[in-house]
Amino acid sequence: MTQARNAGRLARLTVILGLTVGLLGFAIPAASASKGTGWLRLAHLSPNTPAVDVYLYSFGHPNARIVLRHVSYGMVSPYEQVPAGEYTVAMRTPTASARSRPVLSTTVNVASGHAYTVAGMGPAAGLTLRVLRDRLSAPRGKVLVRVIQASMHQSAVTVAAAGTVLGRDLKFTAVTRYQVLSPGELAVRATGESEHGARRFRLAANSIYTLVVMDDSGHLKITRLEDSIGSQVMPEGGAQMGFGGTAARPGGPLLPWLGAAAAGLLAAAGAFIGLRRRRRPALHAR
Amino acid sequence: MRTRPGRHISALRVVRRPIAAAVLACGLLAAGVSVAGLAVASQSGRTALPAGRARPLPAPLGRQASAPRPTRTHVARPVRLIIPSIGVRTRLIHLGLTSSGALQPPASTSAAGWYTGSPRPGAIGAAVIGGHIDSLLGPGVFFRLHLLRRGDRVYVRRADGSLAVFQVTSVRSYAKTRFPTEAVYGPAPGAELRLVTCGGAFDYATGHYLSNVIVYATLARRHGP
Repeated sequence: MTQARNAGRLARLTVILGLTVGLLGFAIPAASASKGTGWLRLAHLSPNTPAVDVYLYSFGHPNARIVLRHVSYGMVSPYEQVPAGEYTVAMRTPTASARSRPVLSTTVNVASGHAYTVAGMGPAAGLTLRVLRDRLSAPRGKVLVRVIQASMHQSAVTVAAAGTVLGRDLKFTAVTRYQVLSPGELAVRATGESEHGARRFRLAANSIYTLVVMDDSGHLKITRLEDSIGSQVMPEGGAQMGFGGTAARPGGPLLPWLGAAAAGLLAAAGAFIGLRRRRRPALHAR
Repeated sequence: MRTRPGRHISALRVVRRPIAAAVLACGLLAAGVSVAGLAVASQSGRTALPAGRARPLPAPLGRQASAPRPTRTHVARPVRLIIPSIGVRTRLIHLGLTSSGALQPPASTSAAGWYTGSPRPGAIGAAVIGGHIDSLLGPGVFFRLHLLRRGDRVYVRRADGSLAVFQVTSVRSYAKTRFPTEAVYGPAPGAELRLVTCGGAFDYATGHYLSNVIVYATLARRHGP
């Protein structure tokens, strides 16, 4: 008796457990899929720091998701599309093993639908990894531009383009906000205390850029990073890409034909009855 | 007094009989014609041509393009589009805008077109390629576009012979009145691709489909060196 009861209880417990595991099994992938993805890119913007290896780990995973070898001053990686979540960026010297303690590391929280640049900035002696949030949308028909001051030689740099000051007296490692500009050819000038640099860029509408001011031999070098690029002109509405040769075609309307047939039959019937009726009184009259 | 109405009735009788006969004949004729019309109307409809399965094509060979650097690497213009899983292999023509500012449809229904206002395939941003679902007579180059599934590969051959390899992330259908302009033409941080064609019901009054089918894809990671 008790054995049978126990067996029944065990069976019930197994079913409940099975159901719970099954539900969890469905719930877990659904939850991670709904988290979405974000974008992450890595940059080396420290003038006197030699080339490094940069590792990107997703939180809690011992193996690096990406490893960038020999990243030197001015190099910026393409964006990596990653599931939203926490990541660790670590820098090691190129000779160091992947298991060694990194020179520098930081964690980044990637939110769904957002983009980030993780940049090694500052002098080699005080190198830090900074997480910059990158914009992903621009006002319709306009351009967004920001400036990163990555020149160590010049302590204050003013960056201007076509009469618009993009950044005034920017100190080393300063990052400006994005500014709205009109698309087209842009002459950018960076002016420090003793050095300067100038360069022309073509900026496309519906796009977002970062200008980086860097040390070069005896002058300032301006490089342009493409953050996000859109279509130069956004077409209006949908696209007409078909002529209907394979589409379902409804038959012609049936109701008018049905109506006409009924009316015709009704008229004929009426006339027929009329004909027959009038014949009889005619016979009587005779 | 008595003859008058009698005469009147007989006159009416003379006119009425041919009229009734004529109405009878006309009624029968109308009924006959209507039944014939009914038969023709019920035969003229048809169902949509089933998409079926295409014979898969082999993946094209060539140097696979790596992810574009934000410092801008030159990307050659696109010349061909290959989608092995749905049997698409076509040259790419150039598309601009219509006078009303809409995306210009390709002049040929058997060739796809790259919108020249969008980034080049493999460069940073979303490249836009459009193609017809059908012509007046039969299937067009993107007839089977809606059959693409997440993970399917899309290849764009560039003028320098290199291949930009994309991976489908989603396939969606939108009413043209709710076209996702920002998602298709707006800024994108990575090298992406949007394939656009028509879908949904066909409106015989305007001669246009009511929906657009859009395939979203991102540049595939390069394997090996």
